[in-house]
Amino acid sequence: MTAVLEVSNLRKTFGGITAVDGVSFDVHAGEILGIIGPNGSGKSTLFNCVLGQLKPSAGEVRVSGKPTTGMRPCDLNRLGVSRTFQLLQIFPQLSVRDNLILAGQEHQGSMVSRLFGRADAGLGDAASQMIEFFRLSHLAGEQAGSLSYGQQKLLDTAMAFVAGPRLVLLDEPAGGVNLTMLGHLRKRLQAYHAERKATFVVIEHQMEFVMTLCTRVLVLAEGRIIAEGAPQDIRRNPIVIEAYLGH
Amino acid sequence: MTRFPALGLVMAAAVAIAAPFFLKPFGIFLISTWAVLTIAAIGLNLTLGYAGQISLAQGAFVGMGAYTVALLTPLGVPFFGAFFAAGLLCFAIGWVLGYPALRVQHHYLAFVTLAFTTLVFLVLRNEEWLTNGIYGITGTPRPTLFGLKASSARDFYFLCLGVLALLSLAIWWMLRSPWGRAFVALRENPIRALSLGLDTRRYTLMAFAIGSSLGGLSGALYAPLVQFIEPNSFALGLSLNLLLMVIVGGSGNFFGPFVGALVAVLLPEWLRLTQGYYLIVYAAAIMVMMAFCPSGLLGLAERAGRALAGPRAVKKTSMPTEGAGP
Repeated sequence: MTAVLEVSNLRKTFGGITAVDGVSFDVHAGEILGIIGPNGSGKSTLFNCVLGQLKPSAGEVRVSGKPTTGMRPCDLNRLGVSRTFQLLQIFPQLSVRDNLILAGQEHQGSMVSRLFGRADAGLGDAASQMIEFFRLSHLAGEQAGSLSYGQQKLLDTAMAFVAGPRLVLLDEPAGGVNLTMLGHLRKRLQAYHAERKATFVVIEHQMEFVMTLCTRVLVLAEGRIIAEGAPQDIRRNPIVIEAYLGH
Repeated sequence: MTRFPALGLVMAAAVAIAAPFFLKPFGIFLISTWAVLTIAAIGLNLTLGYAGQISLAQGAFVGMGAYTVALLTPLGVPFFGAFFAAGLLCFAIGWVLGYPALRVQHHYLAFVTLAFTTLVFLVLRNEEWLTNGIYGITGTPRPTLFGLKASSARDFYFLCLGVLALLSLAIWWMLRSPWGRAFVALRENPIRALSLGLDTRRYTLMAFAIGSSLGGLSGALYAPLVQFIEPNSFALGLSLNLLLMVIVGGSGNFFGPFVGALVAVLLPEWLRLTQGYYLIVYAAAIMVMMAFCPSGLLGLAERAGRALAGPRAVKKTSMPTEGAGP
């Protein structure tokens, strides 16, 4: 199977503290990889190193075989790697529709052609489809900041998919979302995965969400991988139970 | 862009066109000043209001534009050649000034741009061989367009109004394009914008460069308008005044600079009837305005519009639906 993402011996230190310590893993096309671990285990730092928000101290990251270590997030995004953040990151003053168009517009032509091209950058239909897919049609014209938290979370997630990325990294998509909305979000992600054969990496604390969504799970503790396998195996793994699940 | 009723826009345009026929020369000078400074305020609104990059350097760019025209036209360069040279020069310098914005933000960036304003002021004052120092430059000729000389106050006002209309249209076009959305993204959430593929570095520099070039173009009209320019006219005071125009009108609102410039240019003159107290009254009026409508006058108008529409909407929804019943 093709590796969409290859991470080799990634290491990140902040002064004397090692947040990520020699982490290596691959993500294959069509896979949903879950990364779990207690607070401070290095999950978000790992994401930020992979996605160019932080420069790794050592190690290498490749996307579809191309070295991307230290690449700027905008260049990485144009390579087809998309992400969401742990905290909501939308554009509250823009409408739901404009948020989605913005999420894909930089993939359309050059900067100059975008200036003289269509106001919606030719993404009107793509935005409408995404709005419909994430069941936000009744809110399309609303200012994103006026939406409920759960609706904003859906929008935040939808934005990561507009440009048709080959790899999506979701940082705690279930954070702060109520159970009803969480089920809705999981269904949308599963439907998207089934429809487009998309590849996801998901960091999440909500165990049920991870275990039902992911095809493979990787467990981090103190910056290292302590276990890896299918969700049902991870659930039973005594090292994981002791180090993380605590029961 | 905030919705602005088309009727209001047509009425405002009609007033702007008819006004010089009812005004004395000083009145025409004031509305010409409004048109010229609105161009600079539109530039600052782009940099600050849309892209979220604070700048206290817009007055310096007006000065650079004014001196470019005042220095080039006596050398035989046609006015419009000097006009575009002013825009290009300020675009280039604005691009360079944008680099600190890639490293610092908010009040730190304000201080960087403040230092730039001081630097430009010192160059204009001290480099006498080029700028004639504190003695300034007089008699910048008013331009000729298609064989028509805009030498009278009224003709020159219409030239300024025409340039304002063309530049406003160009900026409106840009703001409704994906660039406008990208500038807003830069202001609201640069980290997410970067992760969505926006080259925030390039857009930041572009916001500075375009905003500054509008400052330069405004200055290029300012020199033939006032016919005498000297360094003090382009010191920090002008930058602060332009900032005031953007904030009072409504930062990030397309029509904000038009309204803000109207207040900043005309209100002090109207308040002259209070004689020696007019600046105190003006300052107090601005403070009260800011305390009660921090989103600017257009923000206040929008709030008022919503408040008026609100009760009606409630009334509408509370009316029983036809045919509804138990």
